[in-house]
Amino acid sequence: MSVETHGHVNPHHEHPDVVGSRNRLGLILLLVADIAFALGVIFVYFYLKGQNVNDMWLPKASDTQDATVPVSSMGAWYVTIIAAVGLLFHQYALAGVKVKNQTQLVLGSGLAFVASLAALIYQGILMNNVSFTITMGAYASCYYLIAGLNVVHLFLTSFISLGNWNRSRLGLYVSDHWHVRIVSVWWIWMTISSLLGAFALSFT
Amino acid sequence: MTTMMDRPASTPGHSAPKKALIERLNIFTAFGLGIIGAIVFWYLAKAILPANTDGSYIKSNRDQYVLLAMIGWLIGFMTGIGALVGPFRWLLGKDLSHEENLFYAGKDQGVKRYFRYTTDHKVVGIQYLVTTMVVFFVGGVLAMLIRTNLGHAGGGWLQPQTYNAIVGMHGIIMIVATIIMVTGPFGNFIMPIMIGARDMAFPRLNALSLWLIIAAIPCILSSIFLGGIPTGWVAYNPLASQGPPGQDGYIMFICIFALSTMVAGANITTTVIKMRAKGMTWNRTPIFIYGVVASVALALPAFPFFFLSQVLSAMDRATGSTFYDTRGGGSGWLYENLFWIMGHPEVYVILIPAVAALMEMAPVFTRRPLFSFNMAIMGIAGISGLSVLVWAHHMYTTGWAPLLNGPFMLTTELISIPTGLLFLVLIGTLWRGRLWMTMPTASIYALLWNFMIGGVTGIYLSDVPIDGALHGSMFVTAHFHYTLMGAGLTGAIASLVYWFPKMTGRMFDKTLSWIGFWFVQIGFNIAFIGMFLVGLAGQPRRVGSYAALFDRGNMITTGGAYLIMSGMLVLLYGVISSWTHGAKAPMNPWFAKTLEWSVPNPVPLENFDVLPVVTSDAYGYGKAQS
Repeated sequence: MSVETHGHVNPHHEHPDVVGSRNRLGLILLLVADIAFALGVIFVYFYLKGQNVNDMWLPKASDTQDATVPVSSMGAWYVTIIAAVGLLFHQYALAGVKVKNQTQLVLGSGLAFVASLAALIYQGILMNNVSFTITMGAYASCYYLIAGLNVVHLFLTSFISLGNWNRSRLGLYVSDHWHVRIVSVWWIWMTISSLLGAFALSFT
Repeated sequence: MTTMMDRPASTPGHSAPKKALIERLNIFTAFGLGIIGAIVFWYLAKAILPANTDGSYIKSNRDQYVLLAMIGWLIGFMTGIGALVGPFRWLLGKDLSHEENLFYAGKDQGVKRYFRYTTDHKVVGIQYLVTTMVVFFVGGVLAMLIRTNLGHAGGGWLQPQTYNAIVGMHGIIMIVATIIMVTGPFGNFIMPIMIGARDMAFPRLNALSLWLIIAAIPCILSSIFLGGIPTGWVAYNPLASQGPPGQDGYIMFICIFALSTMVAGANITTTVIKMRAKGMTWNRTPIFIYGVVASVALALPAFPFFFLSQVLSAMDRATGSTFYDTRGGGSGWLYENLFWIMGHPEVYVILIPAVAALMEMAPVFTRRPLFSFNMAIMGIAGISGLSVLVWAHHMYTTGWAPLLNGPFMLTTELISIPTGLLFLVLIGTLWRGRLWMTMPTASIYALLWNFMIGGVTGIYLSDVPIDGALHGSMFVTAHFHYTLMGAGLTGAIASLVYWFPKMTGRMFDKTLSWIGFWFVQIGFNIAFIGMFLVGLAGQPRRVGSYAALFDRGNMITTGGAYLIMSGMLVLLYGVISSWTHGAKAPMNPWFAKTLEWSVPNPVPLENFDVLPVVTSDAYGYGKAQS
């Protein structure tokens, strides 16, 4: 391989756009794995629903156990709506940082954090108030799987949003804002993932 | 937070300054906090979780405690090694300073950097190399226990349950070792230099992928003391749901390993796409890079399915869910699909980088350009694409979707076409070349021979009627050993000898490399030809005893296995003695043209003083302008 040695120097101070572009690609590739996982979860739901092995997707009442009554999917849709609102708040923050409006950035990212926390708590309440336990048939197992995936995603979103708000507050995004753009990619996927879960739960 | 650079220099008469947190964390704090985490989670689980009285089919408190203890271990270990420092510093808005990043890169820390959460890709590469060798050693010892037990008819000295547990442990340990054996050590140490980069795109994620694997190893080893993995490496459900707590070790091992693979996949792919040297167009990018990227990019969407299969398994065991239990509406076919959607691409995750490494070496030792670079890329792309469409050939005999057997047979047999392209590239490069006969050169021939046998027997097994006869027999075991070991491991060992001078600054002992090579290759062919014979005659796999008619074949196989072991021990001795006392290596001992040979030994912290600009491909041997 022929090589010339008068390339560019200065490894430590790459342009923020270069670093941001690299980080964005890295996150998207990580999301490929997460998307595969989430699609796997949806596959499990529809596979077991379609198979309805031993008529135990939604078991009927027996001497020892009540019938499994599916929950309304509205709860899952509400979680998705709260997540979507959080995404909009984050986009508002992103628009703020692009025009160097610090107040808008802090407000938007703070509200996005609150929305993620609200969605997380609401998801927890929903899981606590279903009329069945995880052992009561394949639907019940799948419900907890989808809700559990939502909890993990929302927990990560809360962590990221809290960091994003704190960093906005400290003025760390004054010179470059690729972090905020990357967090936006995560928010979009998290909302889509929540939507996929709600969509699946609409088919009982 | 105090950084290492904030501290005042110590002066005579004053006590030594207090160390910053990141300087205190190392492998010992990791193991310490990991053990504490496991114990705390175990006792918390026992104290908080209610006794299992809800009448679920599989759920047991024992599995809950074991799984939670392993989660505690993981959290403690990763905290103790310092993996959480970066994320929490980001959260607090106190990003790591340049000096702290240099500390994480291992600057001026000597041998201590190998026991820390060091981000320098070369340190991570060496850590991967040692980790891989340790894992292979454990898997190899288990292999010898299996072969010794199968030394004579009627069963050996192992109890059937113990034998099954050893087979399962050997299988999964070797699968993981072969997955990381090329992309781990060489993908980390060599690849960034080869593309003209100063480091990986995400150095901290790089360290994370390595330390996740190290955290995963005790989980699988703990299985030995928890009843083992009596299900074979595939851990089919619902059989695995009924297994001892050793299965929980398997579950955690796979979940942590899958996380490591996802992180490594994103990191390596980003590095190659975004950080290649100026002028290194895709046509000038070395073929080894294509192999590594294809491998990790294939793993990226495939391994989450394996991860998911184990999450569901853990939920069945610990919460009483019924994903795999037909009595509760679950399905064993669900597990098999999730498992093999990962399971077959995984074969190529192992093979492609090993074959690509040998394709990288072929031009060097024949002093000829790589024959049809574009064909090599088409071969790699074709295998990668088809490999995700063949998974159900592992399930012909299960009764799942018989109508799909034909299409899956077709896709499986189609994969022999791109595989054939890789053969053509290697043979075309060797053809009429002026051979420099080194151990890596001989390994190319060994790969062609072994992979041909592994490939042809694979075509038999992809055929539905023949698979009906051979499924579950030793023939299958011999087939996949010919591909994963005969081709994959051969490429990995050749890579070790080839890149050893750059990684250690010393030459690999030539005599020992040859002795090891011949012992391993001869032993390997004896062992697995014998296994083909008994498999064809009907000996089932995963059974610790057999009828007298299989005696001769098994004796041959066990003899071959001992020869392999001798060769491996010679190679291990060669690694240790060459690393400590070997001849000092020149900068470019093979007169190769890829970029890693243009940097001095030892390789500087940031690889290049001035980033290179590439003006031609790496295979211009015999061309005037190169």
